Amino acid sequence: MSVVPSDLRITVDAHGKAVAAADNNAVLADFLPDRIGQLIASADVPADLSTAVVRTITAAGGGSFDAVIRYSRLDDSWFDLRSRWVEYDGGWRVFSVRNIPDTPPWMDLTGPSADGLDTPHWNGLQADKLMLQHCRNCSTWVWAPRPICPSCHSFDMGWDDVDPVGTVYSWTRTWQPFTPEAAGHLPYVVVLVELPAAGHRRVMGVLAHADRRTIRIGERVRGEIEQSSDDRHWPLVRWHSLGAA
Amino acid sequence: MSEFRGSTAVVGVGTTDYYKRGTSPLSSAQLVLQAILRACDDAGADPRSIDGFVSYAGDSSEGLAIAAALGVREVRWCSEVWGGGGGGVAAAVNCAAAAVHAGQADCVAVYRGLSEGTDGRRAFNRGHMGHLYTAHSMIAPAQVCALRTQRMLEVDGVPASAMEAVALAGYHHAQRNPRAVAYGRPLDHNQYQNCRMISEPLRLFDCSRENDGAAAILVVNAERAGDYRGHPAYILSGVQGAAAGWTESAENEDAYTSAGFHPKLVQRLWEGAGIGPSDVNVAQVYENFTGPAVAAMIDHGLCPPGPGAGEYMTLDNLTVERGRLPINTAGGNIAEGFVHGIGLVAEATRQIRGDSPNPVADAHISLLIGGPMAPLVSSTVFGSSATV
Repeated sequence: MSVVPSDLRITVDAHGKAVAAADNNAVLADFLPDRIGQLIASADVPADLSTAVVRTITAAGGGSFDAVIRYSRLDDSWFDLRSRWVEYDGGWRVFSVRNIPDTPPWMDLTGPSADGLDTPHWNGLQADKLMLQHCRNCSTWVWAPRPICPSCHSFDMGWDDVDPVGTVYSWTRTWQPFTPEAAGHLPYVVVLVELPAAGHRRVMGVLAHADRRTIRIGERVRGEIEQSSDDRHWPLVRWHSLGAA
Repeated sequence: MSEFRGSTAVVGVGTTDYYKRGTSPLSSAQLVLQAILRACDDAGADPRSIDGFVSYAGDSSEGLAIAAALGVREVRWCSEVWGGGGGGVAAAVNCAAAAVHAGQADCVAVYRGLSEGTDGRRAFNRGHMGHLYTAHSMIAPAQVCALRTQRMLEVDGVPASAMEAVALAGYHHAQRNPRAVAYGRPLDHNQYQNCRMISEPLRLFDCSRENDGAAAILVVNAERAGDYRGHPAYILSGVQGAAAGWTESAENEDAYTSAGFHPKLVQRLWEGAGIGPSDVNVAQVYENFTGPAVAAMIDHGLCPPGPGAGEYMTLDNLTVERGRLPINTAGGNIAEGFVHGIGLVAEATRQIRGDSPNPVADAHISLLIGGPMAPLVSSTVFGSSATV
């Protein structure tokens, strides 16, 4: 356990106060210069902050430290940000920042596609089921969905629900705020999951509780269908690790 | 050997400046027209004699509108490659060559232009990623290529250093190209390693970033090449396609860590040109992202698969001074500028015609590899007069 440098404590404390006071110039001066844009758009920081309290500063390897700062709002609600600090140019700068605990994003581009081909999949999620296309004639699982069966050319394409258990076929941890909806949820991990119960077809989804976790291809995961807290978003499968294969 | 080999040639190359996205003073159509007029100037060709137009990836400038603006005497061929985004870039060249070879047109302009003012942000990505991606926060092509690259690294054992070599090679070559967006901004190992992550394993410098701009080439019958200025770049062979189980499959493609250049397609490319991968003197390898570029080179047999890729893919070996196979000699999408890969076509032909910022000595075989890991992929082999 590394000792926390005293100048880092002072810098982090001042940073928290600058964020709470919405002193943007001071806040930006704390960011590593080549990633200011990414950092600004990564965290979800409301405007009506009252106080900042540094809760912990811990060594994070390679000479870097993670600081958790709790921000209170005028209505007395609070949230935590965790920032990683690295030495830069004789001082300390923010390398990355995120809201904790990690929560998955809800994207506006969701629901059945314009051609309606995947509508049963989305309807299935509303019924708490993972539904994939399943040829009624030759029993081939088909994904992405097709207008006819690519295997036997049957037009009789049905849908069946699948036990949402599989293995991670690949994964990526996204840091770049590609859309505004991702703010407050970055970085997040998307896994591509191979489903043995559906002819090894693969489906995507966010891996829950992936913050600071090392992901491995082959890892076993189980999907849980999560309902959105608003009525604008369709339900989605979120994946949960079951450990190594 | 096929009659297609060497029957057509590129006799003109034209490019606009690369602008930071959203800053071009010209519309997309004007950029395309400027590129075509410059290609005509390069060739000594009358713009009104162009009788064919080919583009790809949903260019907003339809061939007939470009033809009308140029006041051409007649349009005989007007086609666009379906789908595949940047995967269609070499296919567009091949389409023009096929039309000329078949006698359907005499002088075909192949072009692509983009400007954010006309086409909007991320126009190159339009229509590719449906809700089965976006709902799960898969918003950008970088994330798709990151998934595929991660498996290439973790399962196939390709070292990440191969990706770094692609990025550094592009930046290295861009330092001698005043038109390149990275001109005067060299990149070294430490800068690469310390840059911000975009979507693991892809860092900032693994990613191309869109620019406003355009480029165009003119394809004519090889027998007429002598009517134009400069050295013709002969089209020796071209392939396009998608393997079974590949294309728009929500990440269910077979051979998932391949770039999509399946063995039969690659075999047709080499057999058509009458060469093998070791005969290539210089290659423009489309790097939407470095990982897919590495996969594309593996698919083409230019570099070994798996861990062996790391020994081949080094900065020294991929650059013009000492490299066995210099790639992206104008800087590539990553360091010269990204207009959906059309700049790579210009550079592939300039390595034969002249005017490359980093000419490869005695380059007779110049390879163009189109957008990898795309639903549709394509490649073209260009050759000097010594090859035909």
